[in-house]
Amino acid sequence: MGILNRTRWLWLGAWIAAAPAWATDWELALDLRAVSSDGRESFLDNGQGKLRYDEDHEGIQLGRFRASLDQPLGEVFSAHVEASTWDDDDKNPIDLTEAFLEYRPYPRAGFRSRVRLGAFYPPLSLENRALGWETPYTITPSAISSWIGEEIRTIGLEGQVDWLGTRLGHDFDLQLTAAVFGWNDPAGTMIAAHGFAFHDRQTTLFGRVGAPQPDLTKPKKELFHEIDNRAGYYVGAQARYLDRAVLNVLHYDNRADPTARAPEIRDLAWETKFDAVALRVETGNGWTAILQALTGETYINPGVWLEWEFESQSALVAKRVGAHMLAVRYDEFEVLFRDNPLLPNSEDGNAWAAAYSYDAGEHWRFALEWLRVESNVPTRVVELGEPAFAAESKVELSARYTLSGSF
Amino acid sequence: MNSRGYRKSRWFNATGFLCLTLLSGVHAQAGTLVVTVKQRDQKPLVGAVVTLETPSMPPAAPISALMDQVSLTFVPDVLVVPVHSKVQFPNSDAISHQVYSFSPARKFQLPLYRGKPYPPVVFDQPGVVTLGCNIHDNMLAYIVITSAPFFGRTGTEGDWTVAHVPAGQYSLRVWHPLLNERPELLRTIQVGPDRETIELRLDRDLRPAPLKGRPHSWEY
Repeated sequence: MGILNRTRWLWLGAWIAAAPAWATDWELALDLRAVSSDGRESFLDNGQGKLRYDEDHEGIQLGRFRASLDQPLGEVFSAHVEASTWDDDDKNPIDLTEAFLEYRPYPRAGFRSRVRLGAFYPPLSLENRALGWETPYTITPSAISSWIGEEIRTIGLEGQVDWLGTRLGHDFDLQLTAAVFGWNDPAGTMIAAHGFAFHDRQTTLFGRVGAPQPDLTKPKKELFHEIDNRAGYYVGAQARYLDRAVLNVLHYDNRADPTARAPEIRDLAWETKFDAVALRVETGNGWTAILQALTGETYINPGVWLEWEFESQSALVAKRVGAHMLAVRYDEFEVLFRDNPLLPNSEDGNAWAAAYSYDAGEHWRFALEWLRVESNVPTRVVELGEPAFAAESKVELSARYTLSGSF
Repeated sequence: MNSRGYRKSRWFNATGFLCLTLLSGVHAQAGTLVVTVKQRDQKPLVGAVVTLETPSMPPAAPISALMDQVSLTFVPDVLVVPVHSKVQFPNSDAISHQVYSFSPARKFQLPLYRGKPYPPVVFDQPGVVTLGCNIHDNMLAYIVITSAPFFGRTGTEGDWTVAHVPAGQYSLRVWHPLLNERPELLRTIQVGPDRETIELRLDRDLRPAPLKGRPHSWEY
């Protein structure tokens, strides 16, 4: 009895001592930019420019203000919330990009499962590995990641199973992922309206992409709505070789009914499916290579069947020396509007980016990026009376200050 | 904080050796053994665990050791302890960790914690225990539990020296997290009354070492 009591007190003591472990971790990050750009009117202002900052948005800009909370809920549950503002014409001054509950039990016999419920990114980009779904290599992510940040969010339930081979003496880890989701039926509307773009502005859960759409025949560009009451799904797999190489594949299908309409956002359900593959290799002397490819299609049927095919590939090479990093990336992208040659919503193009970044301790990160996008977009001729071809460049300096703590 | 746990465990190891050394002093013939482990390319293998075992001698006395967590890293990366030793797992980080092992030699988990809330974990079975943190997947460390009377880790020259080893036949085993040898590196050796030097060279290259210097905020 005495022993039992002692053990009980010991564990109670342990529990009390451990209680601060359940404190909320918070983080605030302010990212200011100095921009020089010759970009055409940005897609964020309903133009056909490919950049976030066009020639009317030079000078000092708010890149992002981000606030995140991480709250353990008991032993194996936790809650994560990411809120951001981008200081543009969005509906809410600050809004969520991700918010989810996570269940992460202890590994057993080499396997671990993980379940997420809420709104979050599918496991797809191997470059957006930093907090807030940012890329540490450049300021502006690849065309693929830019599009994912703009149009795609899992609002639903995702399950993952990991085989932790490296904990069992093997060189590999494996992971399988499956999810069901809703509230992403408009995904595809942006790729049809302005194609791929290059930007780090993630669409918020209750916001929209860019400026209000004055033309009442055009969609309001709100991405996270359920229109047809049909769940979408994705399945993915990831293989890792030690901590050196990661191969990720994902098949995504929002299973939207292309005939379903949503008058409240002046849009309809876009049936969007894609396959994505990504490979990241890191060496012991600071080199990183990331290859990504995505190919997909989206359909609507507002009385007539319309179909777009889209694809993009990117290759990034980065070299890190201490707190300094240099990165170079090349992107190619193409959208093919298949069914109606009278509506020229097709495009193709490529982009080069070069960036230098410096992690100055715990709080500051500085980055300098040059980005040049060449694109051929016939919509520019039809809608804006501009030439189809555009070469847009920008140079951007980012200074980010991060504060974190717990309460 | 960083080196305290390591130093303490080394100190305990040293105490273990001292006791054994005193005990072994009664043997008429005792030698000094110097084991040097070289990689395939002749570079020294630093930090390898070397154990020297014989059925006629009991395991070294159990110790109390520390496996700390500092800047999202286990410190030390490898801890070698005699069977029945106790290991404390303090968390010196400001953020919480959740330490686990599903290795057959000792399965355990320490629920989410900061500081030093839990009693030590006792390791009663020889073997290698792989440690992980359920929150931070890139945290990785090993505890080698040995029933050998003599054990240690190789130094910067890949060498490990043990004195006052009673003459006789021993099993010499080398373990390192990146070792790629098939079968494992195991030799039967004869220890005499004099100073003896044994050099072992790996047949295969080491597996790639874990990457260092990536910001902790990056996803694994």
